[in-house]
Amino acid sequence: MMPPATLTRRAAPVLACIGLLAVWQVASLALKNDSFPTAIEAIRAIPDILGDKESLINILASLRRMAIGFGVAVLVSIPLGLLMGRSRGVAAFFNPLLMVIYPVPKAALMPIIMLWLGVGDITKTLVIFLGVSLPVIYHSFEGAKAVEEKMLWSGAAMGLSPAQRLLRIVLPAALPEILTGCRTGLVLALITMITSEMIARQSGAGNILFNALDMGQYDTVFAMIIIVGAMGICLDAIFERVRARLVRWSEPQFDMPLSFS
Amino acid sequence: MARFLSPNIVLGIAPIALIIALWQGLVSFGFAPAVLLPPPGFVFGRLLQQLLTWTFQQEIAATLVRLFAGFAIAVVLGVSIGIAAAASPAINAVVRPIVRVLAPLPKVALYPALLLLLGFGHGSKITLVAADALFPILLSTYYGASTVEQKLIWSAMAAGTPRREILFKVVLPAAMPSILTGCRIGLVISCIVVFLAEMITSTDGLGHALVTAARTFQAVDMFVPLITISLLGLILNALLGALRSYLLRGFPEA
Amino acid sequence: MKVRQNGRGSNDAPHGCGNGRLSGRFLAKLVPYGEASDGMTVVPARSNEWVRPVTSHEPASAIIEIDRVSQVFQTSARRDHVALSDISLTIEEGAFVSILGPSGCGKSTLLYIVGGFVSPTNGTARMKGQAITGPGPDRGPVFQEFALFPWKTVLGNVMYGPRQQGVRAAEAEAQSRTLIEMVGLKGFENFYPKELSGGMKQRVALARTLAYHPEVLLMDEPFGALDAHTRTRLQNDLLNIWERDRKTVLFVTHSVDEAVFLSDKVVMMSKSPGRIREVIDIDLPRPRRRTELLLDPRYQKYVVDIERMFDDGDEAGPAL
Repeated sequence: MMPPATLTRRAAPVLACIGLLAVWQVASLALKNDSFPTAIEAIRAIPDILGDKESLINILASLRRMAIGFGVAVLVSIPLGLLMGRSRGVAAFFNPLLMVIYPVPKAALMPIIMLWLGVGDITKTLVIFLGVSLPVIYHSFEGAKAVEEKMLWSGAAMGLSPAQRLLRIVLPAALPEILTGCRTGLVLALITMITSEMIARQSGAGNILFNALDMGQYDTVFAMIIIVGAMGICLDAIFERVRARLVRWSEPQFDMPLSFS
Repeated sequence: MARFLSPNIVLGIAPIALIIALWQGLVSFGFAPAVLLPPPGFVFGRLLQQLLTWTFQQEIAATLVRLFAGFAIAVVLGVSIGIAAAASPAINAVVRPIVRVLAPLPKVALYPALLLLLGFGHGSKITLVAADALFPILLSTYYGASTVEQKLIWSAMAAGTPRREILFKVVLPAAMPSILTGCRIGLVISCIVVFLAEMITSTDGLGHALVTAARTFQAVDMFVPLITISLLGLILNALLGALRSYLLRGFPEA
Repeated sequence: MKVRQNGRGSNDAPHGCGNGRLSGRFLAKLVPYGEASDGMTVVPARSNEWVRPVTSHEPASAIIEIDRVSQVFQTSARRDHVALSDISLTIEEGAFVSILGPSGCGKSTLLYIVGGFVSPTNGTARMKGQAITGPGPDRGPVFQEFALFPWKTVLGNVMYGPRQQGVRAAEAEAQSRTLIEMVGLKGFENFYPKELSGGMKQRVALARTLAYHPEVLLMDEPFGALDAHTRTRLQNDLLNIWERDRKTVLFVTHSVDEAVFLSDKVVMMSKSPGRIREVIDIDLPRPRRRTELLLDPRYQKYVVDIERMFDDGDEAGPAL
């Protein structure tokens, strides 16, 4: 038996979802706006989208690009961030560059990269990769920087080489912070995916969303919003599970999602 | 992001210089046609020239207005909801699950809905910017306010501060480092989102300038708005950094 | 762990710190000095009401009464931790009382209850006969963690209390500057806490609390985070400041030396559950000089006896 407190805590997000949908329903009934369907109408349109083979393939293709972009970004960014965190030189080398890139919307690079690489998967995956990298680098950097110096000294005294220290001490010690970055990156991957498809308008979930908007299929627009929103919430919830398991040893962390965007 | 002016400025400028040199090299040695990749000198020349024109200044102004309006709304809402959620268990019980659901939601996906509800003008874009910048600010405020050292509050209460004033006299200033970290993230996000919103549908603004250039395959004009938004981001970040070091002059971590 | 007596044990009552009701009200705060050669034994406090020169003209009256206070924390769904069990204690006006005990005996909790920061699970604490329901400027805390406002300068921190009391800015500033000078920090008025050493921070914290003229000082291991040298200096300075107006002080510590050196009365606590096991009157002359006291056999005996008592009690469990 779960204690009632835990039960309430688990059920609260579901209640919040239902509450938000209810607010939507009431608002749309009150506004009586043609372009603002009720929540129920939007939910009814979901099976049509997911039942349609082409849309489903589109959405799955989007998710595949996202997974690849996210995966590669994490693999590249964590080592870079850790190196930056442990070496002043590396940090001084990369920081200004990253500062310059940070405020540039990665999806806005789409038109330029499209010029060079075409509108294919590579372009979109590359953009997702860029979008995910920065928060992961940043958090790995902060995490590695905060690693207790004495812990590294102990490691050195036990005969660990610098590379081993990075892998065996810095990586696990910075893991909670790294995973916070990955969580942010995951949401950013989804955002960049949607935006890149909105801009390239060739395929994918973002494309379905905006085509429906252009054609005035408002039920589909709102149904797609629910689908994309559900993806975000589910991915975040799954990731949170994984994170909690990986860093069980660390301090009980802040339990609201710290995703930055 | 991270420290702005590190002592090793030269080392930091190196990669940027390298990239520009590589860029120049690609063009000069004919690896990339100038139509697709205009030489850097040309791009920066064009940037300077554009910055002096009235039309381009208006694009920047339009972007800045949306950015500031959205960011300001996000700061006001984020700080007040964050503090309220930290101060009152009842508000916390309501806010927490809603934030859990809304924070990981890709807000860009809401943009079509905002367009339908608020029209294609400023309203929808400002709302999108505010929605995106809100959560990092709210979460950092909440985090900062709920981790305020208990004994700080006790000291103020013992000195005779009424409970309702504790929020403004102790919790808010004590949470300031965390709030400003949230604002910094929110500001960068605002830059990104306002640009994207303008790219998707707009009749003015930097994002629109990029899309117009892309439609006519003017590679040079595509670089200009991108560099502009990057510069704007840097300037705003530096301003916020200055404000931060002024406000946090007493805090050890600042 | 063996517990010799709880807070309401028979030994307490003659001390005047037992039941915490009216019985304690007119009892004196000090054993006449030179009379109680063995120091440790329970001395009928009534016998020396008139002996102490400084306060003999006014009968000591109870300022704080702790009446059968218990504090239970719920550590998990199934386990309760009894931090304080049925504590009764009376503190007379103008007395310097130390609460001494091992970590985890609830001595800080007891202080927080008097401060009004924590409400007891059972029982009541009273200040001048009024039940304590929350913090108030009549009881000023000084914490081990300093708890200075990092966004305010030294002067800003010290001025906070008077300003909160409605004192006009110019007047509050003048008072605060005097206090800052008194705690030996003249010239540091415009520094931020982060620019000060631990000892200096604690001086600011003391000045900040003194600035709103509390009737009782509640000191929660105030020198616990400081190095030995700084601690000694601050103990001396605290006594010097205290000699000026002899405010009531409730001082929590785990250092036997510190308790004996500073106090008129030492309340020894034991842990699990937190109880008062002994209340000892410290009959040493004032003003106290550390260098003289360290050579004084009576001082040495107090310290050794108290340490022995803790050792005896801790046979079954971990030491101090």
